[in-house]
Amino acid sequence: MKRIIRLYPSAWRMRYGDELTDLLEEMPATPAATADLLRGAVTLHMRAFVDRIAPRLVAAGGPSMPTHPLQRHPTASALIAMLITAPTLIFVAVSFLAYQLELPGMQAWLQPFMDGLARAPRIVDLFLLGAPFLAFLVAALPLVGLRLERVDGELRMTLALRARTLNLLVLAVCVVVGGFLASHLLVEFLFERP
Amino acid sequence: MLIDVAAFAGVRLGPGTLYGALSRLEEDGLVEALPFEGRRRPYRLTDTGLAALRGRLTGLNAAVSIGLARVGNR
Repeated sequence: MKRIIRLYPSAWRMRYGDELTDLLEEMPATPAATADLLRGAVTLHMRAFVDRIAPRLVAAGGPSMPTHPLQRHPTASALIAMLITAPTLIFVAVSFLAYQLELPGMQAWLQPFMDGLARAPRIVDLFLLGAPFLAFLVAALPLVGLRLERVDGELRMTLALRARTLNLLVLAVCVVVGGFLASHLLVEFLFERP
Repeated sequence: MLIDVAAFAGVRLGPGTLYGALSRLEEDGLVEALPFEGRRRPYRLTDTGLAALRGRLTGLNAAVSIGLARVGNR
């Protein structure tokens, strides 16, 4: 059980390692104690990570974000993402109404389109499936800032996140639409294909 | 400390939980380590820790008193 202490952050281990080792020598090595030690190691690493990152995010309003075009125009990015995913959104919504809720007349109305889709080149299927994921990236990029810099000889990575309601809303739509379509195709591929 | 906590609170703390909490309390200046006594290292509350603990217990006491009074009326 004492070997688990090696998994703790080194600075923490230098301060508390001996005390914890002494304590473990007096305790029976139960599965519960082992699990508790492992959980402690994970918690302390997460705490150390947050302690390293948080001051930089707080200081002076956070680190400067890289300014690629998407980040200067987050609203436009969200709208472009919505346009990209719109065909899939409409397709999923209409299919859901027709085949899941079985609204009267919807299946007959939709059938010509579905027949056309079955004959369409594979790229159309791929676009419908890939669009939500592409849109997710377009909507998410303005929210994420990642900066790499070398400080005193060590490579330092700074991650900055920001929340914008419109972008988060589009992200949620992309996840729901993409997830629904992907899971539907997966189920069809695994269980319904001869 | 584990035995003490188990005796008065009825909770068996794991070693990782105990030392995780202890390091956080020390980091926040609520407890401080004393010199080793043999293999054991005692800790004690700082003045800030004492005030924080008193405040927390007072709050809990108020909640318990109100809760018991309400339960007692039923």
